[in-house]
This record gives sequence, structure tokens and C-alpha cells, in this order.
Amino acid sequence: MSQQILETLNPEAQKILAKYDEKRAAVLTLLHLAQDKIGHVTPEVEAWVSQWTEVPVVRVREVVTFYSMYRQKPAGRHHIRFCTTTSCVLLGGENILGHLKKKLCIKNGETTSDGKISLEEAECLCACEAAPMMQVDGKYYGDLDEKKVDQILASLK
Amino acid sequence: MEPILSRNFNVPDAWRLSVAQSRGAYETAKKVISSGKPLDVVAAVTASNLRGLGGAGFPTGKKWQFLPKDSSKPVYLVINADEGEPGTFKDRYILERDPHQLIEGIIISAFAIRSHKAYIYIRGEYVEPFMRLQSAVDEAYAKNYLGKNIFGSSFGLDIVVHRGAGAYICGEETALLNSLEGGKGFPRLKPPFPAIVGLFGCPTIINNVETLACVPHILKNGPEWFVKLGSPGNGGTRLFSVSGHIKKPGVYELPMGTPLREMIYKHAGGIRGDKNLKAVVPGGISAKILTANEIDVNMDYDSLRNAGTMLGSAGVIVMDETTCMVKALVYACKFFAHESCGQCSPCREGTGWAYKIVKRIHDGQGAVKDLETLLTIAKNMEGRTICVFADAAAWPIQSYITKFRSEFEEYIG
Repeated sequence: MSQQILETLNPEAQKILAKYDEKRAAVLTLLHLAQDKIGHVTPEVEAWVSQWTEVPVVRVREVVTFYSMYRQKPAGRHHIRFCTTTSCVLLGGENILGHLKKKLCIKNGETTSDGKISLEEAECLCACEAAPMMQVDGKYYGDLDEKKVDQILASLK
Repeated sequence: MEPILSRNFNVPDAWRLSVAQSRGAYETAKKVISSGKPLDVVAAVTASNLRGLGGAGFPTGKKWQFLPKDSSKPVYLVINADEGEPGTFKDRYILERDPHQLIEGIIISAFAIRSHKAYIYIRGEYVEPFMRLQSAVDEAYAKNYLGKNIFGSSFGLDIVVHRGAGAYICGEETALLNSLEGGKGFPRLKPPFPAIVGLFGCPTIINNVETLACVPHILKNGPEWFVKLGSPGNGGTRLFSVSGHIKKPGVYELPMGTPLREMIYKHAGGIRGDKNLKAVVPGGISAKILTANEIDVNMDYDSLRNAGTMLGSAGVIVMDETTCMVKALVYACKFFAHESCGQCSPCREGTGWAYKIVKRIHDGQGAVKDLETLLTIAKNMEGRTICVFADAAAWPIQSYITKFRSEFEEYIG
């Protein structure tokens, strides 16, 4: 399954490789590309990145497990990163995170049973002016309270 | 004070080239590239007292001069947009609201150091800033402000915008290089310094986003003007990120050396709910904490160092009288335990144990000897690792416990 998707990404991979002075520099970018399409990094993805960059697959695996944004199992259709660092905590982030978990019936690192939403407790996302804040599918939402969280959840399809 | 770096922050669509150009973008770069000499740019930046605004405060002109004069290898310019220091968000403002200011700074700086390839390393979670920046780079290419023969000169420059993938440590410049080379973000031993052996083994200059955004203004208005904006030895203005228990959180562009008290009570409106101030982190979570009695200090590198802390990334976190300092330290320690790259034992083990012990104290399970254990752990982390992450993790532990010891003792009972 992921093999067929990866084949469709080959032209894009070629373009990415051309931008870098050395092939190995494209490892992170190719992993992003594949994960965005497939949803997570499968062993096939690692092999595909290894093939393009000539970096041994074991080194690719190292990269996948080192960085928090790559995941080796599927996430929800929507992924939430909730900031749990100082400024967000000072302004009540813990309580709002508790509300979010209760509402979704999941813990940190889990996905709702319908596969719709996954939750990750994140370290500072550098939007402290809008604390407490979270990121949903790349977009930042700040000045959160329980009502606002409910509205954001309701807007997700 | 006239805003300089933030002059376009509230101009709608200033991230688009047409709007940025109506505000003067690329005029200085054009002038410099057409008529200037690289060495003149280096001299101007050196004379301006511009210091690295990522956190370390190293003089930028001096850093550039570390490049070997006779290397046959290509020179790389790497831009550190891996903003991650808790309490800091100013680079995001530049990336999102005025990316052309950064790109113009990159063009002039690359010209100065004779580099033809720049990599912008932007943190992976900054998805929207990445899209803004990439579109700005694309627009600059379309106008031939990037690419070959820029402004009709013989100078050429390519920019690659490269996304990180979630690791605070990659803000450390040598970890960033390893990450950019496609590996784990493990810091490298120095020397050799990146100016000699950097990206792909070639001479490399790594500068922060805000630092390079200053460069066009220095070239436009002259180094003397920039020197006068700041305090002695600390040129220019600074984008201060202010957050926490403050009435008006946000980015404030103020002269280097602005008193902290003035920043909190005048510019940022004072404490939320008019409560009393308890403590302030002056330069990102790594900086030693200041008590309410210690805020009569000027916000520049030298003054804060003399006050026993640091300006760092200029991320100011304000804590009011209701703040539990034990809990604040739990969260600081959690951050460092999560983000330690794991390469050096004192840091990997130290951050993990410090978090466990502080959490235990907060949960009411602390023992009398725990505070001494924590201070010993902190001491054994400081200066014993490849990079300064372990030091940065030790400073909150030392300063919170030393300055608010009675609160910790109350928890232990």
C-alpha cells in the first residue's frame, strides 16, 4: 500500500534532492513528504528514503526515532499538539488540557476510537503571547479556554 | 522610538513582495550588491556592535571574520530559524509578518561572506511561518533577487528553506548542522568551529533570524546609527517576547538596555489583575530567574550577566504572586528532560533525575536531602558536556531553589 504511494512521490523526491548539495541532507525533508501523504513512517518509507539519500536504513530509523514529529504508528485524521510548557501552564493550560482529554476520552499519545483525533503533549511551540495554546494540523490556536476548545473540536470534520 | 525590525509587523500582507517593496524592501540590498564591496559590509556590521540575537550574543562581525581567507571550499550561510526557547516567539513574527526583511539580510550577509548558498533551518512545527517564508523566497526568485546575477551583478545566491522535525537541541548551531546533514541533532565538539569546519565539512556561518534582519538597516543607516540605538557594546534594538502573567503579552521592539521594570510596567501594561510580581525569567527558560526585587536591571547582555543571569533569547516570562515556584520548576525540568538529546551522560541522566526529584517534591513525597541532591546534580551538569544545554538545564534548578528555598522546604515539610 505505502509502496504505491511512495512511487507517486518519486518526481517530488527528485526535485527535493536537486536543491541540496549532498543527498543525505534530504533525509528530514523526504520523511516529512512521505509522512504527510501516508500518515506515519512505515519501514517502506524508511527504505525509500534510504534509497534516495544513500543513507543506511538504520540511520534513517535513528532520525525517525530522534525527532518528535515523526511517528511510527498512525495518528488521527486530525493531530493536536497541546503546549505544556511554562507560559501556557502559568495561564491555566493544565486545566484546559484536562478538559480536552476528558472530552476526547484519550490520554497523551492516543487516538480517539473513531480514528478522528490524536493528542500529543508538546513542549513550547513558541506562541507564548497567546498562551494557553495548541496546534491542530499545523495551525496555531491561542488564548484557549474550554469553550474555545469545544468550538475548535466541533469544527473538525 | 521608531520601530525598525518590527516596522512592518502590523502592515497587512507585508509578507507579500509587492507590499514589502512599497515599504522599501530590497533597496539596500540592491545598492550594496551593485556598488558595495564585501569587506565594506563586514566592516560596517563589525562597527555596528551587532551581536547574535539567538541567545549567545557573540559579535556578528567578529564571527564572520573567523572564516578562512584562502579556502577553496564553498562557504555556506545557515540561518537558524529553529526557535524553541520557552518564552520566545520573536523570530516567528519576522518569518510570518516580514520574511522579505530576513531574505534581504541574507542576501547582503551572503554577499559579505562570499557565500552562494544559504540554508534556512526552520523548526518543523512552524508550518504556517514555513509556508509564508517559502512563498517569499519564491517571489524573490521570480524577481531575480535570488538566483544567478542578482540585481544584474555577477553575484549569485540560492536559498533552501529546510524544515526541522521537532527537537529543541537543533537550535544549538552544531546540532543544527548535523540535523541539516540528515542525521540526529547531536551537538559537535568545538573546535573545530563551524566557520572552519561546518556544513558538509565546509566553512559555515550560522546566524539567527533576528540578527540577519538587522543587517539591511545597518547598511542603510550606517553602523554609528545602530550603535547609538543600543547601550555600550550592545548595538541596536531588540525584539523582546513578553508572556506569562502580563496584561499585554507580545513582541516589543525596544532599545538594548531598556530597564526590565519599564518593560513590564510601562510597555507591557503591568501584571494581570494588578497582582504583585513574584519573579521574572529575563531571557528564555534557561536564564536564571530574577525575584521581584531584582528587576531594576537593564536588558542587555552585559547588564544581565552582571546581575547573575542572561539576556539569552530575550524571552521574558512574568510570574505573579500566585505562582507556585515548585510547580514552575517541575515544568522547567520536564522541558529539559524531554529535550536533552542524550549524547552526554551528565545531561541525559541529570535532566531525567532532576525532573523526577522535583516532581516528587511537588507531589509531597520529597525528602529533606532532596534539595541538596538537586543542587549537586545541577553542579555536576554545569560545564561537563559537549554543548551548553546541560548548563541551561542547571541554571533554573539552582536559581529557583536558591531564591525561593522556603517554598521548596514547605513542600518537604
